[in-house]
Amino acid sequence: MTYVVTENCIKCKYMDCVEVCPVDCFYEGDNFLVINPDECIDCGVCEPECPADAILPDSGPAATPEWLELNARLSRVWPNITVKGTPPGDADTWNGAPDKKVHLILETEEV
Amino acid sequence: MSTLKPSKLRIGPGTFVGVSEEMIHELVHGFYAKVRTDPLLGPIFNRVIHDWDTHLTKMCDFWSSVMLMSGRFKGAPMPAHIRIAEISGPHFERWLQLFRLTAHEVCPPDAAALFIARAEMIAQSLQLGIAASRGELPPVRPAAASPGR
Repeated sequence: MTYVVTENCIKCKYMDCVEVCPVDCFYEGDNFLVINPDECIDCGVCEPECPADAILPDSGPAATPEWLELNARLSRVWPNITVKGTPPGDADTWNGAPDKKVHLILETEEV
Repeated sequence: MSTLKPSKLRIGPGTFVGVSEEMIHELVHGFYAKVRTDPLLGPIFNRVIHDWDTHLTKMCDFWSSVMLMSGRFKGAPMPAHIRIAEISGPHFERWLQLFRLTAHEVCPPDAAALFIARAEMIAQSLQLGIAASRGELPPVRPAAASPGR
């Protein structure tokens, strides 16, 4: 069991979730966050905190295999994030925009 | 360990059902008093935990973070449980049994129900993580084909 970050996080990346996660299981991409399913303990604290309602339990129908796979895969290669940074200036504009997956940036800067 | 203050006032789920830091303290201390003397759980906990004061503080921080969004807890419960080789289903059953009992003793009904619901979710998550680490289950992964997508 795990929670999973889904499409509406892309290009919003509000990062409220990382502040409340007690186990620091969020990982950061350029314009998206993911949850490591092996670290998440299903405490449920992050879900209501996301202004984009992008975080779902994996038991729900919108937590499709596509998003489960992305969270599992990307959380292994992206850096851990524990501090809320500054969301993109146009985050609110992108909140609720359709078909954001095409904008997902998979690469991260070399550390 | 991060000790940043939240950047905005966050209202946890416990607030809506009257959970307070005092209630959390009473619940945590009451529950672990039962655990320490329990014939099934006591031996494991007493072996693994060397400093009970620190552990009880940490557990109060955990439930405060979950119920009241205080942000106090930072830790890694999944590996902490995975590394205890003898943990199995009956241990989780007993843990939940004692936790439910204490919650009903200490908390009004709505708060008790919320604590118990969260504890049950976390217990299931920990058990799945432990099983996956032992190769007893495939890790939580999407199916290759998902009907009804």
